[in-house]
Amino acid sequence: MRRESFNLPGAVTFIAAIAIWELAVRSGAVSFDYLPAPSAIALAFVGIVRSGELFTATLHTLRSILIGWVLACLIGGVLGVVFGLSGFARRWFLASLEVLRPLPAIAFLPVALLLFNFSLTTELVVMVYASIWPMFINTMGGIANVASRLHDVSLTLKLTPLQSLAKVLLPAAGPAILVGARLCLGTTLVLAIIAEMIGNPHGLGYAVVSALLAIQPEQMFAYVLFIGVLAIALNACLLLVARRLLPVYGREAMSDV
Amino acid sequence: MAASLMAEKTDDRKPEAAPAAAGNVYECDAVSLELFPHGEPRLIIDRLSLNVRAGEFLTVVGSSGTGKSTLLRLLGGLVPASSGTIRFRGSIVSGAPSDVVVVFQDYSNALLQWRSVARNVALGIEGKLDRTEIEARVRQALQMVGLEKNASDHPWQLSGGMQQRVQIARALALKPQVMLMDEPFGALDAMTKATLQDEVLKVHGQTGTSFVFITHDIEEAVYLGDRAVVLAGPPGRVYKTVEIALPRPRDQIRTRQSPEFLHYRAEIHAAVLSAGGH
Repeated sequence: MRRESFNLPGAVTFIAAIAIWELAVRSGAVSFDYLPAPSAIALAFVGIVRSGELFTATLHTLRSILIGWVLACLIGGVLGVVFGLSGFARRWFLASLEVLRPLPAIAFLPVALLLFNFSLTTELVVMVYASIWPMFINTMGGIANVASRLHDVSLTLKLTPLQSLAKVLLPAAGPAILVGARLCLGTTLVLAIIAEMIGNPHGLGYAVVSALLAIQPEQMFAYVLFIGVLAIALNACLLLVARRLLPVYGREAMSDV
Repeated sequence: MAASLMAEKTDDRKPEAAPAAAGNVYECDAVSLELFPHGEPRLIIDRLSLNVRAGEFLTVVGSSGTGKSTLLRLLGGLVPASSGTIRFRGSIVSGAPSDVVVVFQDYSNALLQWRSVARNVALGIEGKLDRTEIEARVRQALQMVGLEKNASDHPWQLSGGMQQRVQIARALALKPQVMLMDEPFGALDAMTKATLQDEVLKVHGQTGTSFVFITHDIEEAVYLGDRAVVLAGPPGRVYKTVEIALPRPRDQIRTRQSPEFLHYRAEIHAAVLSAGGH
């Protein structure tokens, strides 16, 4: 895990890239009709912050990400535990689930739209459907791969099945489950933005599309860049919480995937 | 063979009434275990009969492939017998009997790496006793294996010998009547092994717990045991039982030099060789 105080070369490259972009647009070296300069994007950003549009949109998107992520983690996690423990479940049902898994969630969006209209439900259905999988697969793998010795330990110490799950199996599968939760968060974010662009006219995804349709490229870029920063921030939050909660093995599980 | 197995199976369905003969904690009668590793039946243990006396230190030796560890798993209720009966204190074993704990060879897999030493030791008694009792038991168990100063360490911070002590303490915290130990010192260096042998003997002397101790080290079997069972196989069966009448307490230097010790060692070694196995 990198714990450097400040990455100077990285920052220099970043600032240089922005400066080149600014120069290229101002001097007319690149001639896209609608490519704004970074300074114009910054001004637009101040504008959407002042007007409160950014705040409202972010609040909506964050709320649906949080709901969707928690739902996906719960459903994927419970399914993963059941399938991880039960060879019977794997033999009978895993093949059917594996057929569903590669089906792109985007293709699923029109179906959800038809069933649930332009609503938060549509957004959540698409998000949860897509992000259950990383959680499910990782949890199942984590639980199924717990060393058989630990099952022996649970038996010989006379732990009840529930105690064994809570005290032995889930913590032993913890690193894999955390990786699942982290991948799940990434998928949830992507799908939230897409669903807002198409299925639910609220939030940051819709704001990007509105700015595009209103031919306000500065504003559109401001929203897009903000979404990028939001993704980085959410990932960092999860890492921080995981390291606090799981000091022993949180580190290795949370090293970059 | 097949016919005799069938006979055992019908025998198994008889009502269980036989009371324990006085002084035995375990009574195994014609126990067989058949597994299907690649879809084909393989007999691992063949009509093995064996008693474990209350309070004794029973060591089990044999070449690899004679089913030593499997025998221990059967006694610990970790795997059910295909035929024959295993009784613990008179009642037939189905599932892990209470008052019996297994200590495994691979301590690093058997310990919960994310728990401190004290919380590892508490694992088997959490939720069964109240808090002060748990703390007292953990402290006592750690004291018995000399780890009272390491209560808040994590297993990965300890040496192999210390980790195995944690596993022994975890078993002791349950105050078992029988400790089943599966080559517990097989992965340790000679010095650590000798120290732990003496600690286990001390625990045996202090608690009156019965021990069934699997080992492939003949000297260890003689040094620790009141009786040594030599297994033959595969499939595993009892080849010979040797009563070891060495005085206690035993001493790493004096006991191991005594002519009686050398005699027992030679006797068991000869038995292991003629019992075969791979």
